[in-house]
Amino acid sequence: MKSVIKMKKIKLVLVGMFAVLTTVRAQDVLDVSGINLLLFGGDQKSISLTVDIQPLAIVDFEPEGQLISGSGETTVEAGMPATTLGGGLPDNLWLNFTHRAINYQPARIYVSANMPLPDNIIVRAEIIETGIGGDFTANPRVGHVDLSQSEQIIVYDFGNGYTGDGLGNGYRINYTVLNPNNEPFPTGYQSIYRIGN
Amino acid sequence: MKIYVFTLLLVLLATISRAQILPGTLNVTGASNITQSINDLIQEAGVDDNESSFESNFDANIVSFILDPLLNPLTLDITDSEQACTLNIFRYSVYMHTLNAPQNLIIEAKTSLNSGVRYPFSIPYDNTVDPILGPRDLYTQNGGQYIPIPNDPSVAIKVFEFIGCRTDIPIQFRAKASSLAISGTGNFQVVYTILGSLF
Repeated sequence: MKSVIKMKKIKLVLVGMFAVLTTVRAQDVLDVSGINLLLFGGDQKSISLTVDIQPLAIVDFEPEGQLISGSGETTVEAGMPATTLGGGLPDNLWLNFTHRAINYQPARIYVSANMPLPDNIIVRAEIIETGIGGDFTANPRVGHVDLSQSEQIIVYDFGNGYTGDGLGNGYRINYTVLNPNNEPFPTGYQSIYRIGN
Repeated sequence: MKIYVFTLLLVLLATISRAQILPGTLNVTGASNITQSINDLIQEAGVDDNESSFESNFDANIVSFILDPLLNPLTLDITDSEQACTLNIFRYSVYMHTLNAPQNLIIEAKTSLNSGVRYPFSIPYDNTVDPILGPRDLYTQNGGQYIPIPNDPSVAIKVFEFIGCRTDIPIQFRAKASSLAISGTGNFQVVYTILGSLF
């Protein structure tokens, strides 16, 4: 009876050792801090590697290609005019950006218009919500901006980050048009967003 | 008691077997540089830049490993590396890790299936019907696809293995830089660790 039990123990030990060895073999990761290179006939060498990473600043609106005026469909890729106002106002526009600084220099987002408006028309833009996607430090302007041809800050200094792409990411922009006399809107009016220093 | 003796014997046997692996020298050359161009950047605002990637040349590093010359302590004869690699065939696993790589940067490495050159180019082992360790070929991990390299001083990951001595193994790198990474030039170390085994 005793010999049977001993045999079972030996088998268990063998199975255990085999399992450990198999596990070690299946593992592709090595603890190099404690390895004995001499014992394994091994060696170790290191070499320098250089990586050059570009700065990056890109901004656009979502949804893309939205029909928001009677004049046609706009393209809202980064660097392009963001919206064309006239026939109707979008109510769910989100400003997305990705930014990697040059020499740690913080960036801002500016907004301006491509042409003057008649005296009685005012276009206002305001950040009314910040999305939770991506990885960035939010620093929106509080309150609205009356658009003019001069650039004005709508997002203050921020460092490297990205908002996530699409609706619900970045900053939600609300537009208000004050046009008490219901004057005709200038054809080709655009608001322009720029990310930079 | 018998179990302990048996276990001890097994461990000793394993240790002695390991000790039979002969020492060799790993050689790594190359002026490695991975440069991100404008075209490598993401094109959609809001997306993290690590969804795009950029590569080095396919042979940014060249890896070779040959056995050291052997001295017979009795006859004082020297067996050169070529002869040592002809007579002693082992399996070698190559692990990689990086030291002090920039934060928010993923470095990946790969080689291609059976890359490099057998050393010596042809030996009697190659003509045996059923060679003990298989053909003197190079076998990639992850199907030859890129493998992320740990940036950790104590952890390395296996990238490939080969049978017998081998030279001129090309290593290609790929980088994925998050938008959170610092722009500019970063310099760091790539460490290669090679281990031999009898099996």
